[in-house]
Amino acid sequence: MIGTLVAKDVKLFFRNRFFATVTGLALVLYLAIYFLLPLQTENSVGVAIHLEDPAASPEFRQRLAEEEDFTLFPSKDEMLAALEDTDDYFVGMSVPAAAAQAVARGESTTLQAFYAPDVPAEAKQVFHELLVFIANAVNPDLLARLAPIEETEFVLGHDLLGQPLSVRDRFLPLLLLAMVMTEVLGLGTLIVREIETGTARALLTGPLRLPTFLAAKIVTGLVLAMGQVVIVVLVTGKIVVSPLLLLTTLFLGSLLIVGMAFFIAAISRNNTSVLAWGTLTLILFLIPALSIMLPGLASGWMELVPSHYFADALHRVLNFQAGWADVARDLSLLAAAGPAALVIGGAVLRRRL
Amino acid sequence: MTSPAISVKDLSFSYGDNLAVDGISFDVAEGEVFGFLGPNGAGKSTTVRLLTGQLTPQAGTAELLGMDIVSERKKAQQEMGISYESTNLYEQLNAVENLNLFARLYKVADFDAMALLERVGLSGREKEHVANYSKGMKQRLMMARALVSRPRLLFLDEPTDGLDPVSTQTIHALIETATREGTAVFLTTHDMVEADKLSDRVAFIHEGRIVALDTPAALKQRFGMRALKAEVRLANGQTELREVALDESGTAQAVHDLFRNEHVLTVHSEEATLEDIFIDITGRGLQG
Amino acid sequence: MTMIQVSDLSLTYPGTRNPAVDGISFEVGQGEIFGFLGPSGAGKSTTQRVLCRLLQHWSGSVTVMDRSLADWGQGYFAHVGVSFELPNHYLQLTARENLKLFANLYPQDVTRSEDLLAVVDLTADADTRVGQFSKGMMQRLSFVRAFQHEPRLVFLDEPTAGLDPVNARRITDHLQTLRADGCTIFLTTHDMHVADLLCDRVAFMVQGRLALIDTPRNLRLAHGRKQVQVEYRTGEGQRQELFDLDGIGGNERFAELLRSEEIETIHTQEATLEDIFIRTTGEQLL
Repeated sequence: MIGTLVAKDVKLFFRNRFFATVTGLALVLYLAIYFLLPLQTENSVGVAIHLEDPAASPEFRQRLAEEEDFTLFPSKDEMLAALEDTDDYFVGMSVPAAAAQAVARGESTTLQAFYAPDVPAEAKQVFHELLVFIANAVNPDLLARLAPIEETEFVLGHDLLGQPLSVRDRFLPLLLLAMVMTEVLGLGTLIVREIETGTARALLTGPLRLPTFLAAKIVTGLVLAMGQVVIVVLVTGKIVVSPLLLLTTLFLGSLLIVGMAFFIAAISRNNTSVLAWGTLTLILFLIPALSIMLPGLASGWMELVPSHYFADALHRVLNFQAGWADVARDLSLLAAAGPAALVIGGAVLRRRL
Repeated sequence: MTSPAISVKDLSFSYGDNLAVDGISFDVAEGEVFGFLGPNGAGKSTTVRLLTGQLTPQAGTAELLGMDIVSERKKAQQEMGISYESTNLYEQLNAVENLNLFARLYKVADFDAMALLERVGLSGREKEHVANYSKGMKQRLMMARALVSRPRLLFLDEPTDGLDPVSTQTIHALIETATREGTAVFLTTHDMVEADKLSDRVAFIHEGRIVALDTPAALKQRFGMRALKAEVRLANGQTELREVALDESGTAQAVHDLFRNEHVLTVHSEEATLEDIFIDITGRGLQG
Repeated sequence: MTMIQVSDLSLTYPGTRNPAVDGISFEVGQGEIFGFLGPSGAGKSTTQRVLCRLLQHWSGSVTVMDRSLADWGQGYFAHVGVSFELPNHYLQLTARENLKLFANLYPQDVTRSEDLLAVVDLTADADTRVGQFSKGMMQRLSFVRAFQHEPRLVFLDEPTAGLDPVNARRITDHLQTLRADGCTIFLTTHDMHVADLLCDRVAFMVQGRLALIDTPRNLRLAHGRKQVQVEYRTGEGQRQELFDLDGIGGNERFAELLRSEEIETIHTQEATLEDIFIRTTGEQLL
C-alpha cells in the first residue's frame, strides 16, 4: 500500500511542472557550480610588507620577493595605500629597524599590523600569529627556534589553515543541504494539496489508515530528498570517502527535513503559505552551512539550528575523512532532532486530516 | 435475514454547543436508495461524516452492514464508495491512474479501469489529465471512483449539482444499476426532482432531527392538494385552465365529463412536489 | 420592446478551427426571462461573454437596449447586472462591505442592497466576513450584487446551484417579481426544472448553433406523447395505466377506472425540458 502511494506521490511531484523543473535544474545547476568552482585551495592571502631596516637579511628579502603572496614595499606609506585601495592584500606590516634588531636578539618587541577593512576578527587573530611568524623570520636563523608558532592552532571554521580546502569542497555541504531543503517545499506542497483538494479525505475514508498515509509521505520525502543528493555524491565521487557514514548522515538529515515539511504542511493553508514558511525555514537552515563556506560568519547561535549538525557532519565526513566517532555528537543530535520533528509535525498534521 | 445495510440508532453529534445531529434513527435496506434531504446546516453533512467514519458520534450507534462504524471503522469503510460534495480527484493524474490507485488501495482483484470508464462515458479521454476535464466529467469520474470497489454502500453527496442533463442521466443510470445489484445508496441532494425520481424513501432532516420519513409517493399525497388541473382548448383556439376537485362524490363523473366534453391538452393531478414538502416541513417561511 | 437583438453572431477563438459560436440569431424582449440551455462547450458562455462585452473579436451584429454593443462604453454596466457561477467576492470583507464596494462603482445611487439581502435571507449575516460563508451563502450574495443597482438586463449563470429548495425558491420567486417590474433576464442553467419554471422562452444551443428556440410549454407539448397516465391504488398496491388522449372521452376502460378505483394521480405525458435537452444535444456527453 505504501509503495502504491509513494509511486503516486513521486508521479505527482514530477507532474508538477514547477517542482519537476526546479528539481531537474537544481541537480544540473548544482553539479555545474560544483565543477566550475576552483579546485585550488584558496590560500593566496596577500600580505604587504615594508622592512625599514635595509640591513635585514638580504636572503630573506630575496625569498619574500619570490613568494607570490608576499609583496615588499619600499615605504610604509606605499604599503598602507596598497592595503587600503586594492583587494590584493588583507594585512600589511611595517617592521621598524629597532624591532627587527630586537627580534634578532631574541628580545620581545611590539609590531604594528594593519588590516584591510573587511577582515573579520577571527582572521585578524590568525594573521596576527602569521605576522609574528614572519617578523621572526626576518632573521632566518631564528626559524627553527620559533617552530612552536606552527602549533598555535587557530581554527577558522574547520582547520582552514591546517588543511586548506578548495572552494568546491567547502561548498559541497551547502549544496547538499540546499538540495535536501528544497524538498521541504516539494513535500509540503504535496501534502497541502492533498488536504486542500480533499484527495486525502478520499483516501482516508477508504481502507487506508492515517499512519500508513503518513508513512507513505515520509518515504516519499526521503526518496525525493535523498534521491538527488545521492546522485550528487555519486557524480562528484565523494561517495567513496565513507559510503555508509555519508549515507547515514544524509538519511538522518533528510529525516529532519521531512519532519520540517510535515510541520510546515500542518500550519500552511495553501501552497503560497508553504512557500512562505518553507523559504523562511530554508534560509534559517542554510545559514549554518553558509558559515562553512564563509567561516567568518560562524557564531554560537547557529548551534541552535538543527541543520547545523547536518552541515557540520557533512563537512567533516566529506572534507576531513571524519569517522563515526568524530561525528557521533552531530549524528546523535540529528537522530534526536529528525524523529522529534517528524513526531511533532505528524501530530500537528494529524489534526488537519 | 440479513441485517440492514445501514442501521442508525439515536445518533448525536455536536460542535461545541451546537447540536448538529440530535438523536436520529433510521434503517436503510440493501438495494434501497435513501434520500436524505434538508436545508443547509440542518445536519446532513454531519450525518454523512458520522456514517462514513470521518467523525466519531458522541452518542448513539451506526452499524453499516452489521459493522459498528466506531469499533470496525476500517472494515466498514472498505465496503463504502463515496462521491463527495466537491470533486477531490488527483488533477495531475489521468482518469485511469486515478481509478487504478483506488483499486490498489481497496485491493480489487482484476480491476478493469477502461470498462468502468466506458460505463461513465469517459472512454476516449482517459489519458488526459483530470485538470482538463469539465465539471460534468470530473463528477462522473468521481462516481466511477466510488464504484471501483463494487461497494455494497454508496454515499452520494450532491452527485449531479450543476451538471447538464446528459451527465445527470449517466449518473442516475449508474445509481440504478448499483441498486439492482443490491447496493444501498445514501443520497443527499438539494434537487427534489432527483430525490423524487431516485429515492425509495426520503428523510427530511431539520435542525438535527428527522421530521419526516416515508416514500416520496406517500409524502406527496399526504401533503398534496386533491385537485386536478387541466388545460383545454376552446372552440376559438384559445386555451383555458379548468380545475376539478378530487375525492368528492361525483369526482369520477366530473373527470370523465372533462375528457368527454373538452379538447384536453394537458391534465395534471396536484400532488405536492417534494420541493413543496421540503418548504412546508422545514418550516421556514419564504417571507423575510 | 426588444432588449437584446443578435443576428448572425460568430466567434472563433484564436488557434482553434471550429467556431465556438457559429452564426446565431435571436431576440430577447424586455421583461422576458430567456433561458439559454445546452451542454458544456456548446457556446453558451461564449455568447454570454460577448453580450457582457468581455470578448471583442466576434462578427455579426448585436444590439442591446437600442444601441449597438460596440457603441456602448463603460456606461453599459450601469444598466447591466452579472452573476457568474463561481462566486467571486473579497473574502476578507463582510457581505455589506463587498456590496458597498461594488455599489460605489456605479454612477447612480444604489439603494436596493438591504432589501435584497433580506430577500435572500442574508441580513443576519451581512456583517460576517465572506470568507466564513458557505458556498450557498456566497451564491446568494452574488445574486444581491447582480441586482442591487437595479439593472435593466441581468446575466445569470446557475442562480440556484447548490442552494436548498427554500433558498432556491426565494431566488426564483424574486426573479418573477423582477420580471413583472420589467427587468430582462438572460439565464444559463443546467437545471431544466428551473428553466421550465422561470423562462418565457428557452433556446437550446448545440455545437455553436441554436437548435431550438420556443416557449417551454410549446416544446413540452411538441415533444411529448399524447397520452394520459393514471395511477391508482388497489388492494395489492399501486398500479398504473396509459391511455391515448385522442378519443379518451369514449374509452370504456378509462371510464371504469375513474368509477371503480381509488385514483392517485392523473398526468398527461408532455416531455420534460430534460427529455428535450437529452434528445436535442444527442450523445454530446464529452
